[in-house]
Amino acid sequence: MASAGSTGRTSRAVTRMAAGPAGRALSGRPARALGRIVAIVVILLWSLFPIYWALNTSLTTQSGANSAPAHYFPSPLVSASYRAVFGIGGAGNGISGQLGRSLLNSVVESGAAMVITVVIAILAAYAFARLQFRFKRIIFVSVLATLLLPAYATLIPLYRIMASLSLVNTYLAVILVYVSGFLPLAIWILYNYFNTIPPELEEAAFVDGASPARALLQVVIPVAMPGIAAAAIIAFLLGWAQFLFPLILTTDLSTQPVTVIVAALDQQRIVPFTLLMACGVIAAAVPGVLALVLNRYIVQGVTAGSVK
Amino acid sequence: MFGGALPYILLSPLVVFIGALSFVPTVDTTVEAFFRVSPLNPPTQFTGLGNFRALFASSAVTTAWVNTAGYVVIGVVLSVVLGTVIALALRQRFRFRGIILALVILPWALPAVVEAVVWSWIYDPTFGVMNSALHSAHLIGGYHVWLGLDRWLTIALIEIVQVWQITPLSAIVILAALQSVPLDLYEAARVDGAGPVQSFWRISLPMIRPALAVCTVEALVLSLNIFDQVYILNGIAPLGSSVMLQTYVTTFQNLNFGGGYALSLLITLATALLSVAALALLYRRPEAV
Repeated sequence: MASAGSTGRTSRAVTRMAAGPAGRALSGRPARALGRIVAIVVILLWSLFPIYWALNTSLTTQSGANSAPAHYFPSPLVSASYRAVFGIGGAGNGISGQLGRSLLNSVVESGAAMVITVVIAILAAYAFARLQFRFKRIIFVSVLATLLLPAYATLIPLYRIMASLSLVNTYLAVILVYVSGFLPLAIWILYNYFNTIPPELEEAAFVDGASPARALLQVVIPVAMPGIAAAAIIAFLLGWAQFLFPLILTTDLSTQPVTVIVAALDQQRIVPFTLLMACGVIAAAVPGVLALVLNRYIVQGVTAGSVK
Repeated sequence: MFGGALPYILLSPLVVFIGALSFVPTVDTTVEAFFRVSPLNPPTQFTGLGNFRALFASSAVTTAWVNTAGYVVIGVVLSVVLGTVIALALRQRFRFRGIILALVILPWALPAVVEAVVWSWIYDPTFGVMNSALHSAHLIGGYHVWLGLDRWLTIALIEIVQVWQITPLSAIVILAALQSVPLDLYEAARVDGAGPVQSFWRISLPMIRPALAVCTVEALVLSLNIFDQVYILNGIAPLGSSVMLQTYVTTFQNLNFGGGYALSLLITLATALLSVAALALLYRRPEAV
């Protein structure tokens, strides 16, 4: 995690002190260590059991899943659900086509929204962090105030705007709505990050005759890469998870993201849970792997400015 | 030196986006809430408070508001308390802490809809693992239908699914705050004879208060606007309906856009007022020591 490296020394000191007088007693130490292990096991069970349960069900047969009492390990262990939802061996029953196309739609919509959000947010956050201009404060506060408003406040008007522009059921409608929703958070993350970069870096570039645009591109952006990565990954995850906006803005498989398809399969009430869980695992795999690999950027992004 | 046009050039894409797709729609919602808007039955007419009166005459709408209050109370309390507990457990550095943190964050990163589908299988009345586990532990005599029968049980179980998703956020924010507490405070407290519990109440808690305020507001906004989990686990039945679900049904199934606008305006106002109130009550920077 982002702050772990820098506070390593202090954290060890906390360990020593938080133990307090009780921790000094010879019998206290093992008891506390045991308590912590138990706490961490409980936390991991709570965090991971539902995910494990989806995997467990997706890897067994319908009769294996429909057993009472439940099997805590896949028994029998089969890959039939995944072969079915990937359409391998002709057992596709229509789900494979829907899932594949909706995954592509999710990639396009969240990916494009991420790129556009980050580019616009870099420009705006740089202006807010470094430049002086009229109405700066009021624009900044108005943009950030939308963080306190529910995203769905704009649901109906956005639908009507997109309908009047004949954009319903297009990638563009979904992407535009995502970008407008994700910009305030991305700006907040990047604004805080830019403020941690010493202005002397750019001043050196200005002395060498660089323009502000060049200083931003060649000096600030390379140094701000961790902050930019944080804003990008969070925007992508938010896009991937969207449901209500695409539910009303998309009407068929040409644009429906994977969340809408998984919900539709669930609503049919006839798709067995083994297949539903396989679809769920696939839909969750992209954000899941991203979160595991890039979690230090996520931590850094969501804690931006929150502890000041 | 950098006056002139540059700041406005840098800001213009932002202003266009937020202006056209956030501010204009918000103003539109505010205005249209006072009009009768029905795409199948034009024209649009001014109705004053007509939409609001019609809404509150409907028991489905009032039920949704009371339910949403339940979602908020359970969501805010559970996610902030659990987030604090997780942060305290992970505060000290140990081997594998980085990996454990990454795993704890996972539920936050996954789509709520997919999570709700998984939990609907966990809660399943005939083959769900919750029934199976509770039965094996002799905590229940027979398998139960968990959702859709008892109103508050349904609401609590649906909100747990949302708490499962949003708690990692609280845990991370509170953990970051805990790690920024100056260590000499704990040292001073220890010298004064304070134990770990006293240290938590007297030092940690006041110092992480801003972080708790942030988590409270985040949980408040998310639970007030709960939709995905309710849509999957409750459907559109009034029993566990939320205001956002009712807005969706009113607007896009009953095609009563005016009513939908009125509900949107009310939930927006409620969210903004409660957020500001929570910040005013909770957000106090720790006094310099």
